[in-house]
Amino acid sequence: MLPLQVQLPDGGWTYIISIIVVSLQVSLTAVGLSTLFSLPIALLIGFTDFAGKRGVTAVINTGMGFPSVVVGLVVLMLVSNSGPLGGLNLAFTPKAMIASQFVLATPVIMSVSLSAVEAVGQPVRDAAYAIGGTKVDVGLVVIKEARYGIVTAILAGFGRAISEVGSILIVGGNIVFSDGQSYTRTLTTAITVEARQGRYEIGLVLGVILLALVLGVNGLGSYIRGKGRTKQ
Amino acid sequence: MTLEAIDVTMGFDGMGVLQDVSVDVDRGEVLTIVGPSGTGKTTLLRLLAAFRPPASGTITWEGQDLWSLSAEERLAIRRRMSMVFQEPSLFNAPVHRNVTYGSRVRQPWSKRLEHGLRELVGRRPMDDTIRDVLETVSLTDKADQNALSLSGGEAQRVAFARALAVDPDVMLLDEPTSNLDPRNTAMLESAIERARDRGVGVVVATHDMHQAERISDRVGFILGGELVELGPAEQLFEQPTDPRTAKFIDGELMYDEPEDSAEQATGSPGTA
Repeated sequence: MLPLQVQLPDGGWTYIISIIVVSLQVSLTAVGLSTLFSLPIALLIGFTDFAGKRGVTAVINTGMGFPSVVVGLVVLMLVSNSGPLGGLNLAFTPKAMIASQFVLATPVIMSVSLSAVEAVGQPVRDAAYAIGGTKVDVGLVVIKEARYGIVTAILAGFGRAISEVGSILIVGGNIVFSDGQSYTRTLTTAITVEARQGRYEIGLVLGVILLALVLGVNGLGSYIRGKGRTKQ
Repeated sequence: MTLEAIDVTMGFDGMGVLQDVSVDVDRGEVLTIVGPSGTGKTTLLRLLAAFRPPASGTITWEGQDLWSLSAEERLAIRRRMSMVFQEPSLFNAPVHRNVTYGSRVRQPWSKRLEHGLRELVGRRPMDDTIRDVLETVSLTDKADQNALSLSGGEAQRVAFARALAVDPDVMLLDEPTSNLDPRNTAMLESAIERARDRGVGVVVATHDMHQAERISDRVGFILGGELVELGPAEQLFEQPTDPRTAKFIDGELMYDEPEDSAEQATGSPGTA
């Protein structure tokens, strides 16, 4: 039976707020960087025909199923002292967490964006060209037509990043400062700690906050998709 | 002549679609290319619109070979033409944004950016050109409606208005009324006549002989990728010189070799 009264941990709401801030900072940065990286590639693949395009698309789609713990392990190996990026001192920092979430979010954003771009049919591209558009103009038309799908892709990438636990636990180390402020502890990793220590009520509070964030993001996505649909 | 195809041949995957076809259109006339489905009409229009160069032969604009020009020069000529397809292919935006697309892409980037920002802060009032072309297709009241919410007939009329709004010298219309009801067909035919009266040269591809008879100054009959006959509409309908034309007029020749898939492969913006 779950306890009805919630006993806040040491640090109280300051601790919880610092966890939320770290979660949002890490996930938003990772998704922002991933969008800047993924979108041009998705557009390039969507606009061009080349040998092996289906293979490349299949690899991107496969990336959506990357096990997060494996991603975390590989990123930790890269940034650990003995790894090729060891000199950058990234292990157990928010930067390493951003790197691992970047790897996890990228296939999602790239794949969904690519689908959205490819869903813009050739007739629309032909129409833009036939009215005097250059190749750049045609590209801009495709981006504009695919805008709701691209926004959905970014939100899906954010959903993947914020709810992920395996890789950031490995590369971030789930660290909290002695003053109770989070350094690399996020909502998801905090829940694992609380659950392990038997403080289910705190875990539940954190879970509700995480769900509210994910729900908010999904609600935003639904609103934007719905806006696109009602216009059609 | 303004726009001319001279001995144009085109084929795809070893299959011939057009064989030594020569047609021309001048400002202020309607040239209709008629023929059964899958006979090369779309391919011809796409070649005239400079989607891609012909396998052999030339496409000329006022005597200049389009494909011997630089990309910039060819773009300048492309921007004196516009094309409407069988499907309206409108953008997911208000009607007025669709109609002004052609004029926007003709502006320098600084101007485009300025207009974009201005529209973000408040809708730009409909200017005379947009009102004029929307009046031509009787859709002034739909200017603010999303184009994708229109009926098929209205959408095709917007596609026509979008092509007309760039003030082209030549319009290329590929089966523009094949999916329309009689009322919308009549409205679009009326718009074609008004465009011609404004000095626009119009090339219409259609399999509808009755429509060709109603709107054309000259008619070319195409069959199996070959231009069988080309001449004034009255002459072609009343005294066709080729028995195949006569059979088509009489409704005895409705289909040709299936070449639709080849026609669809006649190039795209990304490949032209």
